[in-house]
Amino acid sequence: MTRGWLIHPWLTVRAQIVLGAVFVAAALPKIADPPGFAEAIWNYQLAPPWLVHPAALTLPWLELLCGLALCLGLWTRAAAAWVSTLLLVFLAALSLNLARHHPVDCGCFQTQATARSADDRLADMRWAILRDLGLLILGGQILLATRRKPQP
Amino acid sequence: MGFRWDGLAVARVVEKRLLALQSRSRGSRSAGGPPVLDWRHPPIPKVVPLPLKSAADPLKALAFIAAALACGALANGWAAPDRKLAWRGWTPSPETVQAPAILAPPAPAPEAPVPAPGPVKAVPPTRPRPEPGPIPARNSPGQPPPVPVPSQPSRPATASSLFPPSPASVVRDISSGEAYQAFQLKVPFLDARRSSDFAEGHIPGAWNAPVWEADLERRLIEFEAAANPGLQAPIGIYCTGGGCEDSRLLARKLVDLGYRNLLIYRDGFPDWVAKGRPQATGAHP
Repeated sequence: MTRGWLIHPWLTVRAQIVLGAVFVAAALPKIADPPGFAEAIWNYQLAPPWLVHPAALTLPWLELLCGLALCLGLWTRAAAAWVSTLLLVFLAALSLNLARHHPVDCGCFQTQATARSADDRLADMRWAILRDLGLLILGGQILLATRRKPQP
Repeated sequence: MGFRWDGLAVARVVEKRLLALQSRSRGSRSAGGPPVLDWRHPPIPKVVPLPLKSAADPLKALAFIAAALACGALANGWAAPDRKLAWRGWTPSPETVQAPAILAPPAPAPEAPVPAPGPVKAVPPTRPRPEPGPIPARNSPGQPPPVPVPSQPSRPATASSLFPPSPASVVRDISSGEAYQAFQLKVPFLDARRSSDFAEGHIPGAWNAPVWEADLERRLIEFEAAANPGLQAPIGIYCTGGGCEDSRLLARKLVDLGYRNLLIYRDGFPDWVAKGRPQATGAHP
């Protein structure tokens, strides 16, 4: 009963639209300013140096295409898989930096570095982790609902 | 007799039509007839048929990343210079720019008569004062230039005497007061912030060298051609202060180019503005 409600198309369509809209909104500022996004990635101090620039040029477009696909209902499962993977990566990056007490600007919806205190940045990182967890739940719902049944 | 718009009558007609539609929908649902549009409970739209509907999900996922790569390449090709990013950019690992002491490579001994290690500059690092003669004249811009008498002990402080090169620390932090002193002594400054921030305001005479923009190399060449700083001459670097690492990234780049006397204004441009010091605007120094 609960499982049927969880994978109901009514819920799936809304999860797709919310998740897609969030990713489209997150992608646009990064597409507009790749150098700023590269700096944001570098500040996390996790990616190897050779990966920073290609990631800054590719990831925003991946977010945009997957977000649009989710909103429009095209290739939903593949888009949801990418979005969930990206969310897992973001969660890992934020959690690692939070664990080592290294405050960073999230770079999630804006690329310009903000003049804030370390405590403010750390508090924002905690909220960003909670937000990403919520979005990951939506991604999981879509993946669950669009799972293909094995052929008999 | 002209036409008169009766909004109330139109609303009544629309309401009547909608109610009729609703009752028809209920009736057809109960009768098991063909589905009609229910304006209160619209059906969930079917997924648009895809050209690659039968393709496996991994293939679709690969198509997403390929499309993202193509879009990124196209958009970066068409981007404005200040929004362009090199695919293979120059980004040292964070550990190498955290501690300035790490930046110091084994500097040549001051007595060694070997030429400069960097092939870019012709000025040898052993030169005690690499900048040419006009340096003392820069000391007091409002006054007539003093006579350059290098051997006089009472000569005015120069940039090189105030900020002498030290093999132990080729990159060091300077305070706000030292930064202003360097500015007065006409030490060349490099602004590591983005070019849009630089255009809004910068230290007068500073050169913009945004470390994250694709044309950093060109800007550094322009700076070297115009300012002609010696390898041992002090060069000030600043960004936005606080947690800004762009100054250190740029310092790392300059160390690779052979410069050995880099001064990082750690509080950066916000402190400069807060102190009410002179500013310049525009894209050029």
